Amino acid sequence: MLKIKYFVQQSWLLVVSAFMFGLLIAVTNAALIDRINANNANKVTDKLKSLIPDADEFSKQESITIKSQQQSNVDVEIYKAVSDGQCQGWAFKAFGAGFADKITLIVVVDKSFEKIVGFSVLASNETPGFGDRISNSFYRDQFAGAPTEKLNLVKVGDADEIDSDIVAISGATVSSQAVVDIINNTMLQLKIKMLEKGMIQDE
Amino acid sequence: MSSNENKVSSTLLAGLWKENPVFRLLLGMCPVLAVTAACKPALTMGFCVIFVLVCSNIVVSLMRNLLKPHLRILMFTLTIATFVTIADLLLKAFQPEMSTALGPYVPLIIVNCIIIGRAEACASKNDLLISIVDAISMGTGFTITLCVLAAVRELLSTGKIFELTVLPTVEAGGWFVPWTAMMLPVGAFVTLGLGLAIVNVICKKKQA
Amino acid sequence: METVTTLLLAFISIVIVNNLVLTKFLGICPYLGVSGRIDMAFGMGMAVTFVVTISGTLTWMIDNWILMPLGLEVTRYICFILVIAGAVQLVEMYLRKFFPMLYESFGIFLPLITTNCAILGLCLFINLWGIDSLVEAVVLSFGAGVGFTMAICIMAGIREKLKFVDVPDCFAGAPITLITAGILTLAFMGFAGMIK
Repeated sequence: MLKIKYFVQQSWLLVVSAFMFGLLIAVTNAALIDRINANNANKVTDKLKSLIPDADEFSKQESITIKSQQQSNVDVEIYKAVSDGQCQGWAFKAFGAGFADKITLIVVVDKSFEKIVGFSVLASNETPGFGDRISNSFYRDQFAGAPTEKLNLVKVGDADEIDSDIVAISGATVSSQAVVDIINNTMLQLKIKMLEKGMIQDE
Repeated sequence: MSSNENKVSSTLLAGLWKENPVFRLLLGMCPVLAVTAACKPALTMGFCVIFVLVCSNIVVSLMRNLLKPHLRILMFTLTIATFVTIADLLLKAFQPEMSTALGPYVPLIIVNCIIIGRAEACASKNDLLISIVDAISMGTGFTITLCVLAAVRELLSTGKIFELTVLPTVEAGGWFVPWTAMMLPVGAFVTLGLGLAIVNVICKKKQA
Repeated sequence: METVTTLLLAFISIVIVNNLVLTKFLGICPYLGVSGRIDMAFGMGMAVTFVVTISGTLTWMIDNWILMPLGLEVTRYICFILVIAGAVQLVEMYLRKFFPMLYESFGIFLPLITTNCAILGLCLFINLWGIDSLVEAVVLSFGAGVGFTMAICIMAGIREKLKFVDVPDCFAGAPITLITAGILTLAFMGFAGMIK
């Protein structure tokens, strides 16, 4: 009995405050959780919006399974960009190994899967000042309008000319190559699968 | 009354220079090095620390007479962890970009020595007013230091301060060649090292 | 075979490429504070490795088996710090009872470890990287400890030599240590990109 009394005496403050703090967190969480979820959902949509400003809705499609760079099966998330009921283009998430860590990109192509509209980096951990320049306009702009065939990375070339040759960022060849490889791997397999499924028509 | 006012004003100034947590006490080094690559995350981090510091100092000061000595540290940690969770939720809700940029360094405020140090050294011994003033002073000192270091690093690595161009870079047609090393971990260590040395020189001059 | 390769790569990456001290700035306080002598540094490193392996594993289990199924992710930080504090306490009691020699040699370092950001940091990074196998979490936790030990021992080795160097007055102590650490991170940058 004495032991219990001693125990309560020593720890009542801890128990009471733990309860109060738990309540405090629960209230804050309840108040903010909707906003946080909305923010997380907006993260992808905002990037997509900046790539295709015309589209006003992005509907998530059924995922398509492809082979990753390591030849294991992975699911690719696909979004259909719609405006006024018309398909404006397709967007898909692509990921693979970068220089330091995994790179996750979101790539947008036009509605017939003929030309790339652009890409945006969702998550990467490339070296600041070098590898992270893959999200700079010098590199990214080369993809806008490039054909959806196998892209090549070249060290010297004309960056303004839009074709399947992508000019590497000096000092960040590995990261530049990684982005090209990731896009190639995902895009080429997706194109075939989506043609098979009849989601896009071969013209 | 006047002695109390004196104490308040001296506490208020202590955190800014004489007991500046970073330069003089060498506390809370992890965020100082990790988030000072640019000004905006540094400022956000500073505000988070002020928020947590003020809240935890208030709570600790209110319950200072009820604390059992051997459960003290546990109580401090619990208080701090609660307010850090709240700060993290607020960031996620209202500043989602900064929340991703700061990543795990927001929850790491829990183990920031400044906060537990102030709870132990000040809030558990002083009344509410002094504790709040102390928290604000220490937090502001920390934030200002963070921003100064971040400004130096951001300026040298990108030619910008708060994302506003100060020095036009070569890429944008100017003359300034960005000093990329300042953005890397080495920049953090060297800037802080030089900062400490400069503060040492100033203090020596003052004494002499 | 494939899993062994993955685990080996994870281990090397956390020890060298993503070293917590030199690339993530975690555990800087003991890194600057206790790196004066190499035997002290090694003691600290061992104590951290010990605790980080236990708490990394425990927090992964709690996170994946209790918090996530119950949807209680919001209390993650509180759980993590309590687990770490508890683990330190347990280790301390266990060592004092069964390995008094070891306990003596760890000395003051054990209670200090609770506020070592490397440990909480690692638990958070394991969660952030989305590690989904227990074995990998254990390997990463152990690797983080080894990486910390390595970094702090290298630093202690340099500082033992630094004592005989004529450093300008204003640089003596912390400033020169920080600059040395900076140069060390530059050296470790060479390992980036080693793991594909």
